[in-house]
Amino acid sequence: MVQKFDAAAGGIGSSGWARGRLPALARLGGPLAVYAVFALLIGLPLALVLLQAVVPGLFAVDGAQGLFSAEPLARVFSSPYVAGSILHSLELGLLAALTTTMLGGAFAVLVQRCDIPLRGPLSLVPWLVFLTPSYLKALAWVLLMSSGGYLAQLGLLPPWLGASFFGLAGLVFVHTLSLFPLAAFIIGSALAGLGSELEDAARLSGAGPLRIWLRVNGPLLAPAIVLSFIATFAEVLSDFGLASTIARMSSFGVLTYGIYAAASDYPVDFPAAGAQALVLLALVLLVVVADRLLRRRADPRLISGRARPARRYRLGAWRWLAFAMALLVAFLALILPLGAIAVRALTSTLGNGLAPDNFTLANLGAALSLHTAANEGLMRSLFYAGFAAVIASTLALLLSAQLDRSSPVMRTAVLGLSLGAVAIPGIVLGFGYILVWNRLPGFRNWPFPHYGDGSLLVMGYVAAALPYCLVVILSAVGQLAPSLTDAARISGVGAVRRLISVTLPLILLSVVTAFLLTFIRTVFELPMSQMLIPQSGPPAPTLILKLFSHDRDGLACAIALAAMAAAGGGAALIWYPLKRFIAFGRPQGTPAASGEPA
Amino acid sequence: MTIKTTLGLALSLTVLSIAAPACAADLVLYDALDFAGPVAKAFQAKTGLTVDIVEPGSTGETLGKIAAEGNNPQFDIVWLDGSAVMERMAADHVLQPVPTDEFDKIAWTDLGKSLIPQSHAFLPTGTSTTAIEVNTKKVKADKMPKSWADLQGFAGSVAAKDPNLSGPAYQWLAGLFQTNGVDAGKELLAKTLTNKSLSGLSSGGKVNKAVLTGDASVGINQDSAIFSKIAAGEPVVAVYPSEGSVSLPQGLGISARTQHMDAARKFIEFVTSADGQAAMQNGDDTDFFYIPIVKGVNPKPGRETSIAYTHLDDATASAHETEWKQWYKEKFVQ
Repeated sequence: MVQKFDAAAGGIGSSGWARGRLPALARLGGPLAVYAVFALLIGLPLALVLLQAVVPGLFAVDGAQGLFSAEPLARVFSSPYVAGSILHSLELGLLAALTTTMLGGAFAVLVQRCDIPLRGPLSLVPWLVFLTPSYLKALAWVLLMSSGGYLAQLGLLPPWLGASFFGLAGLVFVHTLSLFPLAAFIIGSALAGLGSELEDAARLSGAGPLRIWLRVNGPLLAPAIVLSFIATFAEVLSDFGLASTIARMSSFGVLTYGIYAAASDYPVDFPAAGAQALVLLALVLLVVVADRLLRRRADPRLISGRARPARRYRLGAWRWLAFAMALLVAFLALILPLGAIAVRALTSTLGNGLAPDNFTLANLGAALSLHTAANEGLMRSLFYAGFAAVIASTLALLLSAQLDRSSPVMRTAVLGLSLGAVAIPGIVLGFGYILVWNRLPGFRNWPFPHYGDGSLLVMGYVAAALPYCLVVILSAVGQLAPSLTDAARISGVGAVRRLISVTLPLILLSVVTAFLLTFIRTVFELPMSQMLIPQSGPPAPTLILKLFSHDRDGLACAIALAAMAAAGGGAALIWYPLKRFIAFGRPQGTPAASGEPA
Repeated sequence: MTIKTTLGLALSLTVLSIAAPACAADLVLYDALDFAGPVAKAFQAKTGLTVDIVEPGSTGETLGKIAAEGNNPQFDIVWLDGSAVMERMAADHVLQPVPTDEFDKIAWTDLGKSLIPQSHAFLPTGTSTTAIEVNTKKVKADKMPKSWADLQGFAGSVAAKDPNLSGPAYQWLAGLFQTNGVDAGKELLAKTLTNKSLSGLSSGGKVNKAVLTGDASVGINQDSAIFSKIAAGEPVVAVYPSEGSVSLPQGLGISARTQHMDAARKFIEFVTSADGQAAMQNGDDTDFFYIPIVKGVNPKPGRETSIAYTHLDDATASAHETEWKQWYKEKFVQ
C-alpha cells in the first residue's frame, strides 16, 4: 500500500521494494482493486440483467442461447407506455431534485449558520426523516390524503386538494419532504468544512452578507449543491416506494414500476426489465457526465486543519419566522407521516378511522413480543444491517483513500459509477445477484457467499450501500488538503498509518456518518431483502411488505415503528458517545464533518 | 497491510459470523400464502421434519424469484394461488408432476375433484373465487350490484387488479370473457373501468384499501380477502355475480430438482389431513378464508361457500393469455 501510494504520488520516499518491475504493477494495483470491487459487487450482476435486453435467450430455462436479438429492445421502445414513463421519470426527477436541493440547502443553512431557537432538536429532524423508508412515507401519505383517509375523516382535506395530490404535484411534494435530508447532509457537510476565513476576509473587505453568499460561499458550495442535485435526481429515478403507491394510484407510470411489473411474473420479461433499466442508467450517467463537462474546475480543498468555525448570523426578530418555517418542514416531513403510521399501528381497522373503539394495542404487542416472527425478523435485520454497515464503510474508506490519489478521470468514473449505482433499482440488482450466484457456473457452488444464505444478502446490502458511503467519505477526503498527508509521508509514515492516524481522525465523523446511514438504510432496505431473502428466515422489510400486500397494514406499521425506534436508538447510542469523545480529543471549534446532529 | 489483506480480513470476519453452521432444513418452501407459516409449524411439530419458509412478498414477487432461479431452483415445494402459472412452470420442467398416488389418497369433494389438473402439475389444497367487494358506507342496500354487468352503474369508482400482475385477476378476466362473451366483456369493461388509477392495482390488499378508504365504491377482488376484512369489522360485503364465478385454486407444486421427495410427499399428506387443514384455518388473514375441498372439512365461520361456479376453459384462457393481458394493460393500466 505504501508503495502504491508513493508510486502514484511520484515515488518520493519509495523503498527498494518499489524499484524494478514492481512500480508498474503497484501503480495498477490500486485502480485494479477499485475496479474489481465495483465489478463484483455491482458491474457483473447489473451486466447480466442488462445483457438480456439484447441476448434474450441467455438464461432460458431450457438451455442458454447466446443469440443476439434487437427484437426486445425494439418492442420496448416502440411501446408508448415506456416512452411515457421515461418522460414521467425525467420530469419528476428534475423537478424533485430541484425542490429537494433548495429545501435541504435552506435547512442546512438555517440550522448550521443562523441563531434560530432549538437548533439542536431541529438538526435531528433530517436524520429522523432519513430513518423512515420511502415505502412507509408513501403509505403514510396515502393514509392521510385518500378521499376516505385520515385528513378527510378529520374534515381537513378539501376535495380539490385530495384530487390534485395524486399526480405530479403530490409526488414532488412527498419526494422533497422525504429526500431533503440527503441534500441537507451533502450541503451541510460542505458548509461545515467552509470555515470562516474566506467569509471574514470578504467581510473585512467590505462585502455584505448577500454579496458574500453570492460571490464567495455560493461558488465554494457549488460542487456540493450540484452533487446534491445529482444524488437526489438519481434517488428519485430509482425510487420504488412512491412509484408503487402514489405514482401507481395517479396512473403516473415511471420506469421503476415498469421494471417491477416486467419482473413480477413467471416467466419474467427480462428483456423489458433490462431495457428499461438501461434507460434509467443512461439518464443518470448523462447528468453526471454533463456536470463534469460543464464544470471542469477542480473541487476546492478546504479542510486544512486551520479552518475556524463560522459565525452564526443573528436574525433578530426574523429568527422566529425562520424557526416557524423549520418547524413546518419538521411537521410535514416527520410528525404528520409518523403520526399516520402510529395511528394505523394503534387502530384495528382503516375504514373505521379515528373512532375511539377502533383503537387497540394488539398490533404493537405482536411486534414487541419475543419469539414472534415479527420480532425475529427485526433482530435479524439489525444484525445484518450492522454487518453490512461495517463492511461498506470500511470498503468505502479504503477506496476513497485510494481514489483521492488517482487521476481526476478515475474519480469521475467512480463517482459516476456510484451515482449510477444509486439509480439502479434494487430489484434489478437483486435479480442480477440471483443470476450471478445461482446460475453462473463457478459462482453457484462457491460456499461463501452463497445464494440462499445470509452471506449473500449482506453482500447485496453492501453493494446497495457502497455508492452512498463512497459519496459521503470521498467528499470528506476530497476536502483534506494534500499537505496534511504529504507531511506525514515525507517523514516516512506508512500508508496504513497515514490513513489511520492522519486521515481517519480528520474524517472520522464522515466515516461514522457513512456507517450510520448504511445501518439505518439497510434495516429498511427492501428489494435486496426480497430477492435474496435467506432460507433461514426473512429480514424485517420483507415481513413488513408481506403484511402490507396481505392487507395487514396495522401490524406492518407496528413493526415499522419498532424497527425505527431500534435503529434510531442504536444509531444514537453510537453517535453521541463518539461525538463527545471527538469533541474531547480536539480543540474546540475544529470543523465537524457532514450534517451531523448537534 | 494492503487493501487485499484488509478486504480478506473483512471477508473472513463476515464468514465467521454469518456462515455459522447453516443447517439445511428438510424442506424449502417458497410461497405467498398467509397460512404457510402455521402449516409448516404444525407439520414440524407432528413429523419432526424442518421446513425453511421463503416468502419474498406477493405472488408476482415469488414468481419473479423462481423465474430468476430458472433451471437451478432452490425450493423443494412451491405453494401459490393460481393454476395457469403452475402449468407453465411444469411445462418448463421447473416443476415435476405430483405423484398420482398422492391424489388417490385424498377424499376430494366434487369441487376438489374438478380442480385436479390433468397434467398433475400441482395438487390443489383449497380454492377461492372472485367477487364484487362493496363498501356498505358508500353503496346503499337497494343499490347493490348483482352482476358484472351492473358494475357499469359504478363506472369510474370500480377498483380492479391488473391481470398482468395477478394470477387470480387473469383468471377473473378470462372467466368474464367466457360468461359474458369476449366482445361484450370488453365493451362492458371499457364502460366500467373508466378510472385508470383504480383499474390497474397490483394486489388484493390495494383493492381493499381503495374500497375501504372510499376511493372506490366497489372492487373486483378475491372473495377470501373480502371475508377477512368482514371478520376484521370493516364495512364491506361480498356479492357474487349472477353470471357465475370461476374458481381460483391454491396449488402445491414439487420442484423438478428436489432431493427431498419423501419429505415433500409427507408435507402434501399433512396439508390434506385434518391437522393440516386446521392449521390452514388458524389465522385471520385473507388466505385462511379459503374454501376447503377435502371431505369433512368446514370453512372458517362467515365464509360463504354456496357459490354458483362456472368452469374456466383453460385451453382458451391460456391460448389468449398474452393477447388479453396486453389488451387490459393498454386499455386500463397505461
